Amino acid sequence: MDWNVIARNLGFMAGGLVLTFQLAALAIGGGLLLGILLGLCRVSSVSWIYYPSTAYVHFFRSQPLILVIFWFYFLVPILVGRPLGAFPSTVVAFICFEAAYFAEIVRGGLQSVSRGQTMAAYACGLRYSQVQLHVVIPQALRNMVPALTTQAVVIFQDTSLAYVIGLREFLRRVNLVDTREVRSVELYCFAGLVYLVLCSMGSILARRLEQRRGAAPA
Amino acid sequence: MIQIRQVSLWYRDGRKVVDNVSAEIRRGQTVVICGPSGSGKSSLLRCINGLERFQEGEILVDGISVSSPSTDLHALRAEIGMVFQHFELYPHMTVLDNITLAPRKVRKKTRQEAETKAMELLNRVGIPDKAAVYPGELSGGQQQRVAIARSLAMEPKAMLFDEPTSALDPEMIKEVLDVMVDLARSGMTMVVVSHEMGFAREVADEVIFMDAGRFIEKKATASFFASAENPRTREFLSRILT
Repeated sequence: MDWNVIARNLGFMAGGLVLTFQLAALAIGGGLLLGILLGLCRVSSVSWIYYPSTAYVHFFRSQPLILVIFWFYFLVPILVGRPLGAFPSTVVAFICFEAAYFAEIVRGGLQSVSRGQTMAAYACGLRYSQVQLHVVIPQALRNMVPALTTQAVVIFQDTSLAYVIGLREFLRRVNLVDTREVRSVELYCFAGLVYLVLCSMGSILARRLEQRRGAAPA
Repeated sequence: MIQIRQVSLWYRDGRKVVDNVSAEIRRGQTVVICGPSGSGKSSLLRCINGLERFQEGEILVDGISVSSPSTDLHALRAEIGMVFQHFELYPHMTVLDNITLAPRKVRKKTRQEAETKAMELLNRVGIPDKAAVYPGELSGGQQQRVAIARSLAMEPKAMLFDEPTSALDPEMIKEVLDVMVDLARSGMTMVVVSHEMGFAREVADEVIFMDAGRFIEKKATASFFASAENPRTREFLSRILT
């Protein structure tokens, strides 16, 4: 065992975390925005809004993420006519893929608000947009917090899949160090520990958020 | 004030919930509708402010047809208060915000105006000290009184009550009924779906017994209790009055 291999390459590996965080932040932010839009479409009673959004969600949820990453990397340049680069194409792939999962969380959240609540709001003379904005969405968001944070942690881990098209995020860099130093046990233990610590921090943060939101009793 | 003319309502599965009923509620009157559960009372009530769409007949509120496509339902609902069995206060807002939301968003009142009015109403329903509290911290009776205050904040021309005391513990029923009795005596036009026959006796002008979507008995209060004709009404009354 030579644990010094970690100290020797720490700077190089930590540099990969920057890319990991960038990718995760863009995937979560973009995915959530597109997901909210899709989620609202998924509870629509208008068929030309409901069916396409449903088809989108179904499609992406039945594809492996790694395949979606490949597609955007190899397919989109052909469609667009020029190479997009590994990072932008991965970001787009993540956003499109994760939006499908966020959409289902958002849909569940919107549907968790009881019909009595919307009836009470309408009964006061409020309009659709006011009912959604002041009554439905605030309650839906609160109900969605646990599922949203779980999904965010999953996305953080999934960013490691970007190595398949050569993006040098954290895990890819650990892998590169290993091919040079041949210290698999030490290096992959270290990588596991890093993910464990970061995701635990994420979970703790999430629980804090939940408790704060829970302060206003239901 | 409220005219119900030969209204029928079917659910999507084809069940007929309200079957050709008619009634007229004049300004300042209180009408109590009672009947077994599933008899269409609540559905009929929701037809009055357009929360439920009926297929046949007509309902006029202050001369305006609820089902006409040219009617602005939002404006109409702003004039009719509604109180629900399960209160339906907004759990993420304080009592004060619950009461001021609609006056601010629909009536375009300033926060200051709306809050002054809200405090006045909380006084009226007897819980001025609960303004800053969230609904979850209140008892059922207090929540229902807040819900009544929330409706009154819109200064409605009429109020609909959908089993307002059915979800309450017995010791809390009275505090809610007291508020409703006051309201009825102050001249509010009220349609109340309820089994509280004591309340009906005290303030109702007319009592309707509804079963299977129909008005089985519809009489001025005194004669409803003294001489209900239909055996079903008598059976129902004998069951809930004992």
